[in-house]
Amino acid sequence: MRQYLILLMCWAPFSLAADTRITREGLDFYLSARTPEQTNAFYSARGLPLIAVQEIAKSCFLTVGLHNRRADTVWLDLAMWRFADAGGREIARISLPAWTARWKAMQVPLAAQATFGWTQLPETRDMQPDETVGGNVPVVPPTGEFTLTARFPTGAAGTGKPIEIRVPGLSCPRDGALK
Amino acid sequence: MKQAALLLLVLAFGVAQAAEVAPPPGLLKLDGRPAPALQLADMDGKSVNLAQLKGRWVLVHFWASWCGPCRREMPTLPKLINAFPPERLSVMLVNTAESDEDVFTFLASVSPELTTLMDRDGQVTERWQPRGLPSTFFVDPQGRLRYQALGGRDWGSVAYLEFLRELTRMKN
Repeated sequence: MRQYLILLMCWAPFSLAADTRITREGLDFYLSARTPEQTNAFYSARGLPLIAVQEIAKSCFLTVGLHNRRADTVWLDLAMWRFADAGGREIARISLPAWTARWKAMQVPLAAQATFGWTQLPETRDMQPDETVGGNVPVVPPTGEFTLTARFPTGAAGTGKPIEIRVPGLSCPRDGALK
Repeated sequence: MKQAALLLLVLAFGVAQAAEVAPPPGLLKLDGRPAPALQLADMDGKSVNLAQLKGRWVLVHFWASWCGPCRREMPTLPKLINAFPPERLSVMLVNTAESDEDVFTFLASVSPELTTLMDRDGQVTERWQPRGLPSTFFVDPQGRLRYQALGGRDWGSVAYLEFLRELTRMKN
């Protein structure tokens, strides 16, 4: 647990308020939605230019932490995560390649792009026994509450029984736009 | 009889040399693919090239001052560095995409004796594809990737020092 908290400090040094913690079939799952002020403070402190921080504040950042407490491999694959609003309409996730394209168009320095990349939850990753992984998952801000359904294949080849985690009642706090 | 005993002795020695040392928890065994190129300069402009360190084990450690586990782990690195002569085990610290000012301020406050290479635009780190920060790769004397440390740890702990003593005894 200590390792897990340390990891969250690395990937997400925001306050741990209004969060979700679920343990299912040996997988610890943590999620917290961030306010624009929190993402502003987080990325400004890491040297991202204002133009990038303002762009980031337009999205909804979900901080996620995972800890594989199983004896076998658990697979993280963000393509297997679905965000949907109350009407079942899909909410778009903004992938790291999509951010990279934005940063290139905005001429954000490579160093800032690299730092941003390290704060994101990996698109795909095998999680070895006792391994932790964490980072941010940005989505296009929905107007109301939404639900995350995430599937995690298991086993060395990913063919074991998948773990499914469902988090209803999520929302994106908006505490004021950046000037 | 004497020849057979000698042969057994030779075989046993060979098996012992080839045997892998069991890694402590938190180390992921890699497939021995060649390490990516790494040539960077430190804050004083002194350049180091991984390719020129062949013949010894090298730990390549990626870090950033904004990363909590990196900050906790950094003060333990001098114990590791001081425990081995550099011709047996060298440690290359690589800062990922931070400014000289940030790195200088941080190192001065936690481990003034450490120097780090500067991956100023983060592109070398990208090529190495660590699983997160901090991340440490074990490169063998032939320049192949052997292990990756997952997350932070106390590098001065008995378990890691003993493992590295055994590992660096092996010629591979």
